[in-house]
Amino acid sequence: MGKVFTGFGYWDVGAWIIFFVVAAFYVLWLRYQGRSDYKKGTEQDEIYWSGNETPEDGDGLTVPASSAYWGFRKALEPFYDRLVGMHTGIATDILGFYILVTAFMAAIILFV
Amino acid sequence: MNWNEHLPALLLALPLLGAFLAPLCSLGGKTLRNAMLVAVSFFTLLVAFFLWRTVLADGIQYYVMGGENSRLALPSGMAIPIRIILEVDALSAFMALCGAIASFAGALFSLNYMSRFTGLSRFASLYLLLTAGMLGMMITGDIFNFFVFIEVSSIASFGLIAFWRDRPAAVEASFKYALISQVGSMLILVAAGCLYGKYNMLNMAAIGSALKMGAMEKVALVFLVGSLAMKCGAFPMHMWLPDGYAEAPTGVTCLLVAVSQASLYGLARVCFSVYGIAIGSAFIPWMIIVFGLASMFFGVAMAVVQHDMKRLIGYHSVSQVGYMLLGLGVGLLVLGDPRAMAEFGFTAITGGLFHAFNYTMYKALLFLAAGAVYYATGKRDLNDMGGLARRMPYTAVMFLIASAAISGLPPFNGFVSKLFIYESSFAVHPFLAVVALVTSVLTLASFVKVFQTAFLGPEKSVFAGVREVPPAMLAGMAVLTVVVLGLTLFPSWSIANLAEPAARALVDQSGYIGAIMGGGM
Repeated sequence: MGKVFTGFGYWDVGAWIIFFVVAAFYVLWLRYQGRSDYKKGTEQDEIYWSGNETPEDGDGLTVPASSAYWGFRKALEPFYDRLVGMHTGIATDILGFYILVTAFMAAIILFV
Repeated sequence: MNWNEHLPALLLALPLLGAFLAPLCSLGGKTLRNAMLVAVSFFTLLVAFFLWRTVLADGIQYYVMGGENSRLALPSGMAIPIRIILEVDALSAFMALCGAIASFAGALFSLNYMSRFTGLSRFASLYLLLTAGMLGMMITGDIFNFFVFIEVSSIASFGLIAFWRDRPAAVEASFKYALISQVGSMLILVAAGCLYGKYNMLNMAAIGSALKMGAMEKVALVFLVGSLAMKCGAFPMHMWLPDGYAEAPTGVTCLLVAVSQASLYGLARVCFSVYGIAIGSAFIPWMIIVFGLASMFFGVAMAVVQHDMKRLIGYHSVSQVGYMLLGLGVGLLVLGDPRAMAEFGFTAITGGLFHAFNYTMYKALLFLAAGAVYYATGKRDLNDMGGLARRMPYTAVMFLIASAAISGLPPFNGFVSKLFIYESSFAVHPFLAVVALVTSVLTLASFVKVFQTAFLGPEKSVFAGVREVPPAMLAGMAVLTVVVLGLTLFPSWSIANLAEPAARALVDQSGYIGAIMGGGM
């Protein structure tokens, strides 16, 4: 275990592990307490799905990965249009970026 | 005979021997070939471990190939070394250990993963050839030899990425990588030619002892930095990487992660040990820092919107390489300033190198877990997945550990190396640390998405028949999980014995040169 000194301060892995153990114990204890009015096999076992009937298959319940962070991508649409646009997948484009970067570095280091 | 003396040569001889033995072993059946693949990978790992231990105890090890005496770098009357010399300092040994672990884990995983396919004698040959090329890049002390090992690893990579040659995407990914890799390798050869033309030497330590910055040296430096940054996946030269990583068989992707680190090692070796303070201007260090920042941010930005599991993890490779480039760039920036080096430069290099080790372990684990999901479900698209933790609990737990580590969540090992990089880069400019922190947040967001969509949520009926992957695949992942947990639970030991000796070796240019030239800088 031990402390990690970064030169600016330190960080103790042991303290974090103790914290996680205590937190996990507390969460499990809370869960163990349960609810006194819980009855197995009743509607209490049903998934709450915005008041709608729960679909049989999980397909209808999940948010697909391509919809995750939709708002994030929408807000940054101009940025993503350019970023995704530069990833053409065309071999000559891939090579072009490499040549351009190397040429730029060569020009700066030789002539500036 | 003192075996320790021959460890550097053995480290290359073992996988090379295995590569050429594979077709013969295949004649004896599948079991013999598989046993050979795993045994050679395991013994290579053992040699790498003993070499690392020997270097820590006895200092730099070197091996003169083809000489009368493997320990005689400069025979009497010779002013410069002319034979190929393998030079293993703490950095080389550290990287070789890291690469050998990834190679062993990938070999174990591939036993079951590849069992459905034909052409496995070629697979085993190329896999071990790739391992030999990677380890050669990490321990050679000769710049032309470095180019040769790059070629060995590149050619093996082309074959392995296109191993499923009935898949057009795999052939295309291999072609793209071959194209850019060959141009990069040629520029490395031109750089070696520039240095040879000027100094009449190919040994890196010898060149380092004589190097004075001029136009030829600048051209060589730019070609080496550009090519090696491209090969380790720095933005905007990274575009071959997600394709190559996604299309290669998963055990190979695990090894390709370590191979990219061999290029990062080459970049560090050239900048610190060959050029050192002769690098002069701050342009190249700042270029490496800019590569780092751009790779971190744009890599993770691309990863967040991916939904192919392996491509997503591939884009995270670009992002994670950025952290290492940032750490090494900050260290290189203050190489000639002992005070700044003591205050934050050494911390940055230590963080960068520790991150390289951490990254190889958790990234290889993530790829193996993604491969396990593909093996069990036949799916790579996250949109088609869900609820797999019930069917594949071990894979899910190991993926979760690797996700927490890559996201830099305390107390995992990724956090420790990132902490070093945050604090040291902040000392150069707060903006650098802010980019690194934002990248970490986006990494976490991305892996929350992956874990939630692949492993959590309601079970899908289409996965009713899915079972946990076979034991050899779990064992491959378990090797890496144990290493990740070990680095997590014992960070001070890991830093004191792995990262700091490597960082000390990297900044000690005179030590690297003196081991070969006898202190004659």
